[in-house]
Amino acid sequence: MKKIGWIVLAILLLPSILNAKEGEVKIKIQGSTTVNPVISEAAEILRAERGWTIYVDTQGGSSGGISAVGEGFVDIGMISKPISEADRNKYASANFESFKIGIDGLALVVSQPVWDSGIQFLSKKQIQQLYERKILNWKELGGQDSKVVFYNKEPGRGTWEVFSNWAYGSYKNSPLVAHPEVGANEEAKNKVAFHNSAITQLSYAWAENSERIKAIGIQLPTGESVMPTKETIMSGEYPLSRSLFLVTNGKPTGYQKEFIDFILSDRGQELVKKYGYLSVR
Amino acid sequence: MGILVFVSSKAILSKPTFPFSVTGAFSLIFTLVSLLFFCGMALFLLIQGSPIFFQEQLSFITDADWFYRINQYGAASMIYGTILVSFLAIVLSLPFALGSAILTSEFLPNSIRVYVKSFIELLAGIPSVVYGLLGVLFLRPLIFKWFAPFSPESGDTLLTASVILAVMILPTVMSLSEDALRGVSKEHREVALSLGLTRLETFVHGVLPRAIPGIIAAVLLGLGRALGETIAVYLVIGRADNRLSDSLFSLKPLFEAGQTITSKLGGSELYIAYGEPTHWSAMIGLGLILFVFVGVIVAMGEAVNWLGRKYQHG
Amino acid sequence: MVSSIRIWKNQLFILLVYLSGFITVSLLFLGFILLLSKGFQSLSLEFLLSPMREGGISGGIFYQILGTLILAITTLFIVFPLSMGFALVKSIYIQKAFVKKTMELFLYILNGIPSVLFGIFGFFFFVKYLGWGKSWFTGGFLLAMMILPTTTLALSEGINRISSEYIENGLALGMRKTQIIFSIILPQSFSSFLSGVLLGLARAVGETAPIMFTATIFSGATIPTGVKESPILSLPYHIFNLVQESYHPQALSNAWGSSLVLIMLVILISGIALPFRLRAHEEAKV
Repeated sequence: MKKIGWIVLAILLLPSILNAKEGEVKIKIQGSTTVNPVISEAAEILRAERGWTIYVDTQGGSSGGISAVGEGFVDIGMISKPISEADRNKYASANFESFKIGIDGLALVVSQPVWDSGIQFLSKKQIQQLYERKILNWKELGGQDSKVVFYNKEPGRGTWEVFSNWAYGSYKNSPLVAHPEVGANEEAKNKVAFHNSAITQLSYAWAENSERIKAIGIQLPTGESVMPTKETIMSGEYPLSRSLFLVTNGKPTGYQKEFIDFILSDRGQELVKKYGYLSVR
Repeated sequence: MGILVFVSSKAILSKPTFPFSVTGAFSLIFTLVSLLFFCGMALFLLIQGSPIFFQEQLSFITDADWFYRINQYGAASMIYGTILVSFLAIVLSLPFALGSAILTSEFLPNSIRVYVKSFIELLAGIPSVVYGLLGVLFLRPLIFKWFAPFSPESGDTLLTASVILAVMILPTVMSLSEDALRGVSKEHREVALSLGLTRLETFVHGVLPRAIPGIIAAVLLGLGRALGETIAVYLVIGRADNRLSDSLFSLKPLFEAGQTITSKLGGSELYIAYGEPTHWSAMIGLGLILFVFVGVIVAMGEAVNWLGRKYQHG
Repeated sequence: MVSSIRIWKNQLFILLVYLSGFITVSLLFLGFILLLSKGFQSLSLEFLLSPMREGGISGGIFYQILGTLILAITTLFIVFPLSMGFALVKSIYIQKAFVKKTMELFLYILNGIPSVLFGIFGFFFFVKYLGWGKSWFTGGFLLAMMILPTTTLALSEGINRISSEYIENGLALGMRKTQIIFSIILPQSFSSFLSGVLLGLARAVGETAPIMFTATIFSGATIPTGVKESPILSLPYHIFNLVQESYHPQALSNAWGSSLVLIMLVILISGIALPFRLRAHEEAKV
């Protein structure tokens, strides 16, 4: 009985072992949930049109992507922040090459009721106070009387690092806080959308066309307030713009290069725009 | 006489001819593979988890601050979360599990009993991610609304996690308790009833004492399952570190987001920690703590079961 | 009068028991029905047969179902021989009762190990240390080890229940040990074993934690090619991702549909186990 089992197992495994054809295209991608929608759909298109096998994973966010590329487990990483000194030092043997594929605006996004109650712009100082739990109720900022819930992006996320770099000069200087954490953009959006008093760090594109969440504008030191829109991000008026990258270990070769070229091509950039980001052109 | 024969035939079979049979050899190999895996896992937890203990000794367990960016690791708030959430889950589910078990074993006619038991066992097989789905969609808003007087931050609280766990372990605890109750032979009930005791008295004096070991084992096994549950807890607990309240007995943490060992391990921090020796050891150290916890609880459960059986037949 | 207090307490007891039982069963039942109805609304043949699109928001779950089935079959083929060998060694080959008892305690403890620890160990050893990356095989292997205690104990108990007559007859006929095992012991305990395997399998297909670090990815996997670097998609991890996208009505509906498919799979596997469980019960009584 056992012997029959082993024979059947061998028969089942055989086709899949033989299936690994020579020269079959296989690309592994991992990283940021901000960049992911664009890359996932591009992968679907290339799978359908060119028969490529492309694996996409989003575990760990931007830092997961960098780690996977640095250790050679994936070919391409998706990240929503630039590669930092610390990243290069940690993966000293890796030679990171990044390719800008889009531009995004990072926003503080709040639940709709908060917006409706009058909170539509925040200064950097106010945001710091919210982050450090010095402001605990929206009424302190002129809004509704409800407890502030700050869903903090996990420290490994590109979105968090960009936010901390802006709010505190360098993410290393950001204070140690104890907020409820969220990982993927989807999760952050979900938590804020189903709450009536929450705020999180999120790509502005994810708040567009939503009835339940709104991106707050930033009040600049000059007193002027800027909403995150395509125009203000493009012009640089909105202070929290950030680039989206694909990274590889060393120069991308063969199909990796073709994939990156596809993303940088007209069709790829259309995808970038489809998901609310700005094209690099 | 029958017992002697039983023992001797199995014993004859056990005579050492086995290294020379192919079946025996394969069986041994397979056993060793299995043992190798589990030893590997235990060694992994020990070897990779102990450095943090050497570095921080007991403060790893007693310190409540976990800030990996500055290499500060303290598991206390997670241990607290794990224990609170699991024990509360038992407390919440026990009345319902026991009540249903008593109903099913003592009062229901056999025909209905089979359906109820099958349904309950079906529920025990529902994947935890589905419980997570239901918890996120329904339980979270409910808790947020019903407990508004306690001003919770959101629906993601330790209480929410406890309730979800309570629902998840209820089928297990109920099913095992029911087995324990039914394990008490009918005679005990019949004798008590014939002496004029009411159903309640029959139950309390006749059935319950004999079923206690089985019920305790059921509770411990349910507890073990609650301690180890990852996905459902991950989705509804809020995952906020460093939330150890000053007083161990205050109710406040129940209505705040928190963290358990499993919700920490199930997140992306594992990916971040890989490659950073101290951070990685801290994560694996958490796993080690969990492993020991659950191991002890389950061993206790089985010991109680074994003792119970021994005294019943002894 | 003393007796009326006794009666009153008795009535209260009965009332509480019925109440708690009724609340429990009806709430659970309602929850279950809700799950089924929402799930059925989202099901369609197209949903089951088409691949995922737009990161799970649209399209179907064909490759997720396939991936879960691949894991299930792998788990089955690995746990079958391994636990059979273990149970035989424990019940037949080992004489000393002490060693038997230790092995049994060992199995009980292993049964309680949280699934996430399997995932972490698998991540370290298979994904990183061996450099296999994510692989369907790793997932199946870890799931098999996770349910091994259950299946081994099931077979072990089945073997213990065999009436000694049968073995004696075999010995009297001059059968060798191996022959006795294959002609008498295994067939007689098979129902017990199979029910244990199937119930373990039903649990395994629903697990997320052991596979999310080691075998399954977000998108892109179809049919695995080889063992290394061959991830798969899976239903539990897909549902896990969809839950976090539940603000999107389409994603939510897909979550319901996927949950239903997963539950149906669990019910199917448990259902197949049912006749074997009944038979094992009968065997025990003889």
